[in-house]
Amino acid sequence: MIYLDNAATTLHKPSQTVRAIAEALNTFGNSSRGTHSVSLSAAFSVYEARVKIAEFFNCPKPEYAAFTLNATHALNIAINGLLKEGDHVISTDWEHNSVLRPLYRLEAERQVSLSFLKADSKGRTDFLSIPEYITPKTRAVICTHASNVTGNMADLEMIGEIARRHGLLFIVDASQSAGFADIDMQKMNIDVLCYTGHKGLMGPQGTGGICLREPLDIRPFYCGGTGVQSHNQRQPEQLPTLLEAGTLNSHGLAGLSASLDFIKEIGLENIRAKEKQLAELFLKQVKDCESVTIYGDFESAQRAPLISLNIGDLPSGTAADILALQYDIAVRPGIHCAPRIHEALGTAERGAVRFSFSYLNTEAEVMQAAQAVKEIAEA
Amino acid sequence: MSEDINYYILFDNYTHGLALYKLLQLDSIPARISPTPHILQEKVSCGMSLLIMPEDIEAVRACIAEHGAAYHDIAALPCQIKTDRFRFC
Repeated sequence: MIYLDNAATTLHKPSQTVRAIAEALNTFGNSSRGTHSVSLSAAFSVYEARVKIAEFFNCPKPEYAAFTLNATHALNIAINGLLKEGDHVISTDWEHNSVLRPLYRLEAERQVSLSFLKADSKGRTDFLSIPEYITPKTRAVICTHASNVTGNMADLEMIGEIARRHGLLFIVDASQSAGFADIDMQKMNIDVLCYTGHKGLMGPQGTGGICLREPLDIRPFYCGGTGVQSHNQRQPEQLPTLLEAGTLNSHGLAGLSASLDFIKEIGLENIRAKEKQLAELFLKQVKDCESVTIYGDFESAQRAPLISLNIGDLPSGTAADILALQYDIAVRPGIHCAPRIHEALGTAERGAVRFSFSYLNTEAEVMQAAQAVKEIAEA
Repeated sequence: MSEDINYYILFDNYTHGLALYKLLQLDSIPARISPTPHILQEKVSCGMSLLIMPEDIEAVRACIAEHGAAYHDIAALPCQIKTDRFRFC
């Protein structure tokens, strides 16, 4: 199979990641539960993963990096934990349902009001217009770093500066950019960074996290056992324990830790260069096909390594089915859990076929996928 | 290690405890990760502690100060284990 659905999850993981998880399975007790040797094996592994994540995103302290099951989990902690009755939030048309649904729920339940920066037909958004949306009740700017549909990327440093200037929390969804783009929480003034481990970071599913720039007044999304302060009737207030009730996925985090080592060995800039090269190669091959419509802003210097398109008048699901059945190529059709951007692109009904690339893909795979698109377009 | 008194560094959570353990290792200050004796477990302390030798307390404090390491307290407690019956180091 040619797997080009890496924006959903990376299929191919570094071999050291696979080994780390396999080894952890029979050697880890429960992290933060006791001090016998296998509990400590898990605890040290989790601690090391925490240190690596903090370093990777330039989060000020490892303890400000709490682990979650995925980015949706992290975003729910951030959105539900920070927004209060009557707050106003500025977000964008780029957002995934992992941001939109928690916001819509708070709109209904806590009278949180929402403003969305509009995207145009190429998915472009004017982030400089953020100040025009600010009201006395505005509490936060919440945006994704990279659209999971168009691949368009936001200038986090610029948005972070606007948020800082106006005293707003800046919450970032890095689902599509972690492991591809440079993310520096301190330089970019990011107050809360939510990421997943199983996409660009090439770790296993069931890993992710929320990183805070400083301890914030954040209400934990859930409470429970922590292995510490057991007589305390409240969730311990210290990070990361505040946000980590229940047994951690230490087996998965061992894998994520190994993936971070892999990224460090290869170099994030080299990973980014290869993924960009694969995406550009694909684009070059298909962009001149008469019946292929490509979505996104290709004049921008920064883009995530994915390309969404439609072929002739084929429904996106049909095109993906042909690619799977006839060519053994895995892509993602439909709305990609991002309804607002599809409305902006004019593809709300039809969806689009998304090709997304990983460091572990090859040029040969990309050329075969492009050839398949051409053949379907000409059929 | 003193025969009678044990010294425990207490923490709010494992992250703080493991962070200091690593720092002590780097400074070659011996410490053992130990369950926190129940009698020392106030509402705010964690299930793990670091058992240190009395002669190292000042070095431990210096290490904590140098790195701004988080900890809850350093507590003294008469040894809970009968050393004539159990191995304890």
